Amino acid sequence: MADMVKLFVNGVEVEVEAGKNLIDAIGAVGIEIPHLCYHPALGADGNCRMCLVGIEDGRPPLVPACKTPAMAGMKVLLDAEHIRKIQRDVMELELINHPTDCPVCDQAGECRLQDYYMSYDRRQSRMTVPQVVKGKKMAFGCGVVHDQERCVLCGRCVRFCRQITKTGELGIINRSDDARVNIFPGRPLHNRYALNVVDLCPVGAMTSADFRFQQRVWFLKKSPGVCHGCARGCSITVDHNREKEQEARIYRLRPRHNPLVNGYFICDSGRMSYKAEEEGRLNEARHGRLARSVDQALLAVAEDLAQGGKITFILSPDSSLEQMVTIRALAEKLGATLSGFSDGWIIPGDGDDFLIRDDKAANRAGLELLGIDCSRTGFTAAVEAADLVVNCNNDLGRSLSAEELGQLFQSRRLISFASHRREIDNQAEIVIPVASWSEYAGSVINCQGILQHFPRAVVRNQPPMELVELIARLGSPLQSEADCWQELARLPGLPADPATIPTEGLQLNDNEAAHDQP
Amino acid sequence: MSARVKTIARRGASLQERLYLIEICKGMATSFGHFFRNLLDNSRLAVRHYPEVPPEIPVRWRGRHRLTNHPDGTMKCVACFMCQTNCPAHCITIEAGERLDGRAEKMPRRFQIDLLECIYCGYCVEACPLDAIRMDTGIYSVNGTRRDAFLLDLTALQAGQGAFPEDDYQKGGA
Amino acid sequence: MTSLDYLLIALRVAFAAFVPLCFIAVCVWMERRGAGFFQDRSGPNRAAIFGFRAAGLVQNLADAAKLIFKEDVISGHIKHKFIFVLAPVIVFFAALVSFAVVPFADTLVLGGRSYIMQGVPVDLGILWFLALAGFAVYGIILAGWSSTNKYGILGGLRSAAQVISYEIPMALAVIGVLIVYGTVNLNEMAQFQGQLLFGFIPMWGAVLQPLGMVIFIVAAFAETNRTPFDLAEGESEIVAGFHVEYSAMKFAVFFMGEYVALFVSSAIIVTLFFGGYQVPFLATATLIDNARPVAFLLLLLLPVAMYFFAGWIRRNNVSHYPRENDPRAFEAKVYIRGLWGLVVVIELALLAILFFASPGGPAAHIFAALLQVCTFLVKVTLMLFVYVWVRWTLPRFRYDQLQKLGWQILLPLALLNIFVTSAVVVILS
Repeated sequence: MADMVKLFVNGVEVEVEAGKNLIDAIGAVGIEIPHLCYHPALGADGNCRMCLVGIEDGRPPLVPACKTPAMAGMKVLLDAEHIRKIQRDVMELELINHPTDCPVCDQAGECRLQDYYMSYDRRQSRMTVPQVVKGKKMAFGCGVVHDQERCVLCGRCVRFCRQITKTGELGIINRSDDARVNIFPGRPLHNRYALNVVDLCPVGAMTSADFRFQQRVWFLKKSPGVCHGCARGCSITVDHNREKEQEARIYRLRPRHNPLVNGYFICDSGRMSYKAEEEGRLNEARHGRLARSVDQALLAVAEDLAQGGKITFILSPDSSLEQMVTIRALAEKLGATLSGFSDGWIIPGDGDDFLIRDDKAANRAGLELLGIDCSRTGFTAAVEAADLVVNCNNDLGRSLSAEELGQLFQSRRLISFASHRREIDNQAEIVIPVASWSEYAGSVINCQGILQHFPRAVVRNQPPMELVELIARLGSPLQSEADCWQELARLPGLPADPATIPTEGLQLNDNEAAHDQP
Repeated sequence: MSARVKTIARRGASLQERLYLIEICKGMATSFGHFFRNLLDNSRLAVRHYPEVPPEIPVRWRGRHRLTNHPDGTMKCVACFMCQTNCPAHCITIEAGERLDGRAEKMPRRFQIDLLECIYCGYCVEACPLDAIRMDTGIYSVNGTRRDAFLLDLTALQAGQGAFPEDDYQKGGA
Repeated sequence: MTSLDYLLIALRVAFAAFVPLCFIAVCVWMERRGAGFFQDRSGPNRAAIFGFRAAGLVQNLADAAKLIFKEDVISGHIKHKFIFVLAPVIVFFAALVSFAVVPFADTLVLGGRSYIMQGVPVDLGILWFLALAGFAVYGIILAGWSSTNKYGILGGLRSAAQVISYEIPMALAVIGVLIVYGTVNLNEMAQFQGQLLFGFIPMWGAVLQPLGMVIFIVAAFAETNRTPFDLAEGESEIVAGFHVEYSAMKFAVFFMGEYVALFVSSAIIVTLFFGGYQVPFLATATLIDNARPVAFLLLLLLPVAMYFFAGWIRRNNVSHYPRENDPRAFEAKVYIRGLWGLVVVIELALLAILFFASPGGPAAHIFAALLQVCTFLVKVTLMLFVYVWVRWTLPRFRYDQLQKLGWQILLPLALLNIFVTSAVVVILS
């Protein structure tokens, strides 16, 4: 840990981390300093002046907190009248040309300007002259919609494009009350992290075309989750809601701050990956050509498994550790072979040096940790030797072409547990819908060897069965998640209780991938 | 405002009152007085001859909802969801969408009030920042033979007319 | 047995069976319209057939139609379905059968044979009534218990406790009456009350046994589960008590049983304390002997009464709000004409008696019996009105007040009544 220093805030002594700026240092002990332009990932800019604080016995007496490192013995003044007047005046300045169209603004409810108005301002507008008219509903590309009137010119978006993505599409043009954020003519936002500016924007100037008007943010239930878009496994917040008489659905994914994995950001494709959770889902169990209840179909599967013969289980590299270990246990009990073949998940060259990885599987490290063979040769051998193949939610269509699949399963019986409707399931004898990652709790290991646990986020009106429960019903020795973790705890570095995994994840040291830091 | 205290004498202590029968007779005499008077002349009954004689609806009375329009006929509602947020009965369902008439950016694509769930509390009217929803139609009786008949949609809500002059409504508040 | 015997047996059984049933409608109507007028409102007055509302009686038909066609629900949690269905039947049956011993006219003598005018010719009289009144509570207890519902069982328990508490003062009050009349036969009691005390006061139970009357009436209120003793229902605390799980006709049977019990207990009160079928000051023998003068008096009084009644109808059966071609005025006209027609028919019958009945002849006997039946029904109706009147005047007792009244006040008073009565009877004899 960093060195701690003692300083005074409003005359009260607090102990904060040395070297950090005042906003972060004092914010860590729960005292908020209002700020608009400062963002920990983008550094201090000092343009909004909202964070001005008084330093008693200091020269100068007023400093921007974002630019001032915490030092021992500092006497920070926050609740003095002249500080409050500065905050009120800054708010008044920001609101001069703000349209206050909160009723139609998607940011309402998570808007800094709204919050600060209620906390620091609460005055009527004194404006009598007409407001400056600027551009509204401007398509900036990549699904970002910009409203120049709402903008407070904090420059976070501009700095993000310059510092983080290094693409620099955005800039502030003109000066004073005519200043506005804009793109260069004919050069819209074009990078794979563009939608992060929507999160970064403290007000409603940057909104997402995808989320626009879908839901007011205060209706959303916010559950922590782990993105299953690629091997990075970014920490995310799943914003979901069940509207009256409707199916529960995910409305958006947002990055969740995790210093070990993704910092403050996620990529756009990960952000949009919620759509896969909503669309193309498999809802009905099927046996032969007939629709069956899940229970009936499960009985049929259990009978098939009990008949013996050579069985092969195919695992998905997206499965959680719990699912993998319970399938492995069932396979051991039945004397079946296992394969985690999923070459199709890896798209060489797609990754970058920031967050996106070539490997689009969320838990390949887990497969490796459990010693499950992922090779193509192993897969082909196992399937060809088997009479019965049980596909546990592996989208084989990503790795193999339709002809190859057709050949492989022409003379073999296939049972499919699938979360989505896939080509391969048409060849299956029995198909049972299972929960996808937003509907179960589980743990995954990302490419850096960081183990993360996520709780169940969405509960559908008719929740599909979780794979762990389904395998348990088929006779796995591991009957519950707790059993799975007892088994998992035998592996080096894994805890016995997922509740002990910290929110930012647990670094598994013995994994080589640990060296592969961003 | 200080509370006014009215001391009510405690009855029932005297022998006559404790005998009870005499007090019962007194009470029965009172009620029979009412009965007999009404029997002889039923024009003096304290009743309103509903439904033939409709009740007088004051301006502040909360009737069926309506969505108000601008003078040019466009909808005032911008789908801010304040009414839905504040509705204690969860009877309002809104779906927002893009607005193209230049009034604002947003408007409801679907606006549904389930009158079977509505408790007519008027919080939606209080919450509306744009005076877009009102309960001043003066409609006090909503009936139907099917559940659907109680689902008010956007057109039905917009078609509602205020039952009072605008000045009276503004003075009376809602 | 002659055919006249059979006819009269059929008549008296039919009377005992159907008059209580008809009075259900009268009770319900009186209760509702009475409640309305007591509370300065009008009560049900909209249900109509072709615009004829019959003062609100048509509402009963509408309610009956509703209850008959309602879904008859037996909840899945009810285990003892047979008892559940049986319970309302017990209540209704016990109430109906207890009327069988109440005489509605004096023994009719025709052609030298006497015909007793009560449903079942047994001498048990008041004992029969006491037994069946106690039996009816089984229905309530079973209903409450088989409902498998906490409100139901509470209602049933309250009812059981109440009946035990009030049967005793009721029976003791009856003992005082028995001492005075010297019989348990209700017809003999009614005949006894035909006498005159000191030559000008009808020798009614109310005069001879005022304390016994008060105790009996209070206990009868409790027995019929009427306000202020309707704790078994107690809408405010146990929603509806024993019949909370009952719907449609099963509920309706409870409902009707309650009103039949009301009618029967009114009939018993009238028979015990208000001279039964006796026309005041005109004992049966006097009536038979003076059939002609009585008929003549009625002949004169009936049109006068009708005249005033018609005026009342005309005044009150109108719409009290501006209305073109008020259909209620037309309705009133039809009623008045119909009633005048009825009066004319009765007048003709009275004229026939006036001209053709010989004193002491069979026509005089039948005339007297009919007059007594009418008297009896009028008295019972008035007593029913008292029930309604009390209901809309008194609030419900609390449970402890109920028990205190029963055991600490009514029971000692009833014992005192027996003691005093016996002493007076012994002294006088």
